[in-house]
Amino acid sequence: MISCQDFITELGNLLDDDVAVEVRESLQAHLEHCQSCQVLYDSTRKTLRIVTESGSFEYPDPIAEPLVTKIMDRIKGGCEVPKSVE
Amino acid sequence: MGFLSENNDPDALASLSSLKKHYGFIPRIFREQLARPDLVASEAKLIEGSLFNKGALTRLQKELILLTVSAANANNYFPAVHAQTLQFVGVKLEQSVAVTTDHRAAGLTETDVALLDFAQRLTLQGNKFSAEDVEELRAKGYSDEQILEAVLMVGLTFLLNTVQFGLGTEPDFKPRLNISQKEVNPEPASERRILERPLTDESVSDDPDLEIVIRVKNGETDAFEELVRRHGRRVYRSLVGILGNAEEAEDALQDCFLKAFQHLPAFEGRARFSTWLVRIAINTGIQRLRGRKDFESLDEEVDDFKPRRIQAWDENPEESYSREELKRIVEQEVMKLPAKYRVALMLRDLEELSTEQAANALGLTIPGLKARVLRGRLMLRESMVAYFAKGAAGVKA
Repeated sequence: MISCQDFITELGNLLDDDVAVEVRESLQAHLEHCQSCQVLYDSTRKTLRIVTESGSFEYPDPIAEPLVTKIMDRIKGGCEVPKSVE
Repeated sequence: MGFLSENNDPDALASLSSLKKHYGFIPRIFREQLARPDLVASEAKLIEGSLFNKGALTRLQKELILLTVSAANANNYFPAVHAQTLQFVGVKLEQSVAVTTDHRAAGLTETDVALLDFAQRLTLQGNKFSAEDVEELRAKGYSDEQILEAVLMVGLTFLLNTVQFGLGTEPDFKPRLNISQKEVNPEPASERRILERPLTDESVSDDPDLEIVIRVKNGETDAFEELVRRHGRRVYRSLVGILGNAEEAEDALQDCFLKAFQHLPAFEGRARFSTWLVRIAINTGIQRLRGRKDFESLDEEVDDFKPRRIQAWDENPEESYSREELKRIVEQEVMKLPAKYRVALMLRDLEELSTEQAANALGLTIPGLKARVLRGRLMLRESMVAYFAKGAAGVKA
């Protein structure tokens, strides 16, 4: 039987659907009898869904145009080279 | 302008989508044939079947034939278009130019040189072609199927070249190579055997930004503006997530696009332009983060984290909030995470990079990255309990 700590260690892989069949089975067996881990798994899964679907960190429309203009002005004005890409 | 008018009506161009897929844009020569959409569609099909699809010969061998035969026909148009397109499957412009100028001095393998000798002879002396020529190719290990494809490819190139001469199509790009008949080396295969890395044979990218990228690379700086408009939002999102600060993200956004513009000549299309750009954004963001006075190291060990607030959530807890509210909650809570967890979570869960890509971007091992992502997710979950646990709904951000 795996412990709650073992379950938490594997939780990331479980959410990413990146666990071997036998590991998944033991995680599921743990979930069946552990209410806390069930809640943890369910709420973390929902957190990710909310984050992914929230459309967060879009830039506000009013700043979009001035930024495009600034960038193009700097490019056409022979801008100084920022540090390397890598 | 060419001798016939060019049609850029989107409905008419839709019939040429297969060409767009392979070339990344629709070369002018096909837009000039839309007075007979049925014929140009058949032509596109023929090109796809004979050239772009993999057959007994590789796509690249067929492309090499096209370059060699066009050169022998003194056609500038097709080598220009294909040399550009070939860059996106990893063939450098100079390599295409070298094949067009003299395929025997282009660093190709012995078997490829034999194939191109064959194509060139068929082009220049078709009426003297004999079983011996075919036998020579067989001796190099080519199958009948491959020989047939080579002959058809020579024929297809003649068709394309002739259509271009007939329509007077002007180049889509400023031509980098100008071929005249006498520059083509008429000597038989020499002993020169230069082996280079085999040319890759991937399918041409269907990158929707390809056409603009090529225009910018050819000196049309203004076209870059469209790339900024298309990708600004995504780049901003990566940066604000990494930096945790909207104002700094605006500065970094400018730096990122300037770097992209300056490094565009080195962009070879091995990845989509958008992927390449986001990689620059991530590097820009991480560089700034590491340069901060109050920088919290991204490299520190991750300690164990024990979830504390274990309360059940509703089935669809987000339904209690408007879209705007949800957006604000997520932004506010993600920003509160320590940088090392926030960045890892952003790359995996908002940018949807693979574990390997995210680990690479941050210079972490895969277990190291995974530990940070999990920690970020668990901390974020913890702070979300206040909004989404049963009975918590209605608490506003």
